[in-house]
Amino acid sequence: MAGKSGREINATPQNTLKKSILSWEGILVIIFLAVLVLCRILSPNYTLNNVLREMPKYLSEIFLFFPMAYILMLGEIDISVGSIVCLSATAGCLASNAGTPFPLVILIMLLVGGLCGVVNGLIITRFPELPSMIVTLGTQIIFRGIAEIVLGNGGSVSVTDSASFRAISKRVGPFPYMFFLVVICAVVFVIVSVKMKFGRELMAIGSNRRTSLYSGIKVKATIFKAYVIMGVFSGLAALFLTAASYGANTTTGDGFEMDAIAMAVFGGIATTGGKGKMIGGIIAAFIIVCLRIGLGQINMNSQLILLIIGILLIAAVILPNISASFKAAKKKKSQA
Amino acid sequence: MKKRILGLVLSVAMVASLLAGCGSSSEAPAADTAAATTDTAAADTDAAATTDGGSAAGKTYAIVPKSAGNPYNEKEVEGFTKIIEANGGTVVVNYPEDATADAQITVINSLISQGVDSIAVAANDANALSAVLQDAMDAGIKVSTLDSDAVGEARMTFANQAGVTQVAQALCDAVLDISGGEGQWAIVSASSQATNQNAWIDAMKEIMAADAKYANLELVDIQYGDDEPELSTTVTQALLTNYPDLKVICAPTTVGIAAAAKVLQDAGSSCKLTGLGLPSEMAEYIGADDAHSCPYMFLWNPIELGELSAYISMALVDGTITGASGETFEAPELGVTYTITDQDGGATEVILGAPFAFTPENIEEWKVIY
Repeated sequence: MAGKSGREINATPQNTLKKSILSWEGILVIIFLAVLVLCRILSPNYTLNNVLREMPKYLSEIFLFFPMAYILMLGEIDISVGSIVCLSATAGCLASNAGTPFPLVILIMLLVGGLCGVVNGLIITRFPELPSMIVTLGTQIIFRGIAEIVLGNGGSVSVTDSASFRAISKRVGPFPYMFFLVVICAVVFVIVSVKMKFGRELMAIGSNRRTSLYSGIKVKATIFKAYVIMGVFSGLAALFLTAASYGANTTTGDGFEMDAIAMAVFGGIATTGGKGKMIGGIIAAFIIVCLRIGLGQINMNSQLILLIIGILLIAAVILPNISASFKAAKKKKSQA
Repeated sequence: MKKRILGLVLSVAMVASLLAGCGSSSEAPAADTAAATTDTAAADTDAAATTDGGSAAGKTYAIVPKSAGNPYNEKEVEGFTKIIEANGGTVVVNYPEDATADAQITVINSLISQGVDSIAVAANDANALSAVLQDAMDAGIKVSTLDSDAVGEARMTFANQAGVTQVAQALCDAVLDISGGEGQWAIVSASSQATNQNAWIDAMKEIMAADAKYANLELVDIQYGDDEPELSTTVTQALLTNYPDLKVICAPTTVGIAAAAKVLQDAGSSCKLTGLGLPSEMAEYIGADDAHSCPYMFLWNPIELGELSAYISMALVDGTITGASGETFEAPELGVTYTITDQDGGATEVILGAPFAFTPENIEEWKVIY
């Protein structure tokens, strides 16, 4: 096509359907379907009812994934979330056992989570020279440490008022309540990331912090907000986790941060910031969850399941690099 | 464009390798407990076809240990698997990915989906498993615990490795035997508030007061080492100084016995030691001669605990027992007819029996196990 200036314009839009299938998100959808088919073949018990019944624990991790994706888009990280879940669950159980009405217990859990997020956010924005990995490693130890001290001997507390907690883990048909909440959150987080100013700012900061600062984006405030959201959602995860186990102990939420990060990275959200789409992460999260449930049902060794997830992750990170280097090599060839 | 196709090809390869991985795993032999993979559906039909398999034929019995790679847990699984398979049942061993209650919830949920007949679990946390275990019972699965209990309403009964009376009786007899029937003896305990320690010590006092054969034994002191090696060492040294005629020290705690063993052996003391100890920590102190400080000691046998748990699971599934106090069931391999007894708080338990003695003859074999 010849342009006004007579130059040849090569960037004609390609077939959009083909393009969307061959995008990373398209590939993820294919993998997701493949996982479902695979698990159905392997396990006769891989039914909608069973998968949804086993899902709540993983859904709590997906609550952590949403804000974690934002933090990764910023080029930051938060590895303290598992400990925030533990502290928040502990606070909620103790409050509930002290006779606090249930709605207030929920509020306390979200508040404790939010407060931990404020601590993380304050340290990271006040001391920008500190890497967020190290800061949140510190708070990871501190938050769980506080929970361990509070829990004291035995390291475990159970809720006496288990009826209220059990109520929120009820279902509509086969779908647990929290499944709908996850769907709502997914929609909100996607809209915020693609349509709202906050989402665009996250990406801008993640791509180039200095340019963002000079173009008038309140970098510190945005980072701070992301960490507070992370904290509040940790409280939410804690609430549903408590509802599944009627209590908290020193290992509650252990390793959840890594699962949340894994979901995001597998979904194509780069830990270096500024790259990736929320929707990819959401599909990836469900791939990991459905795969784990399926492999669990054939009694595959838990360590082997972790190994497979690890391989998937490495592959997800390496793939774009390989294809990029292929492209570069091809470019060089055509120039020569 | 090329990179997209490349990506697609690679991801298809990934899925294919996944398939291959799963395939080889589910083909692993059922006896391979480490892989923990038995094809439930296939086993069901196989076992149903062979009706002469035994009382457990056609049923699937799951065991959920505390964590993978723990030799003590492996021994429990070994005993459990042996009994179930000897009776024609199918065993599913499902290790949690780490030693947490959360990870156990995940595997128990998966077992509910598979529709196993029974679940025996060594709980990583007494409270946290109650919701999921109640779900399992609601689904008709027979739930019991072993080694480490869950709360009473979350399981039907508990295979308890250490009955208070049995432990106390074994320790009393050991003190009597090692002292030669008379003389001074003392106790090195953990902390003064430890419930199991105090229960054992009180039971020992009662047993000794009730039977005349213990009349010449004099309990001179009870010291508390708080399960700290340093403090346990100090209190043992103090006992030796204060009671030069002391013949036996009994330490019903693994930390206390190890500390006391070192003190006595280093000092070449004529005072001897017994109690509850870990074979791996105590191997160098166990011996019949004067160069060793501990002639023998006790702990429970994890293999037998696994076997007991298997018998409980089978009896629950075939309806012999429901977990109510007073019911009895046979355990041929252990040579005992077990009775379900009451526990504090209304729940029930089955006590394995007298603790297992670790002697100079068997310590070499056990020290590598746990």
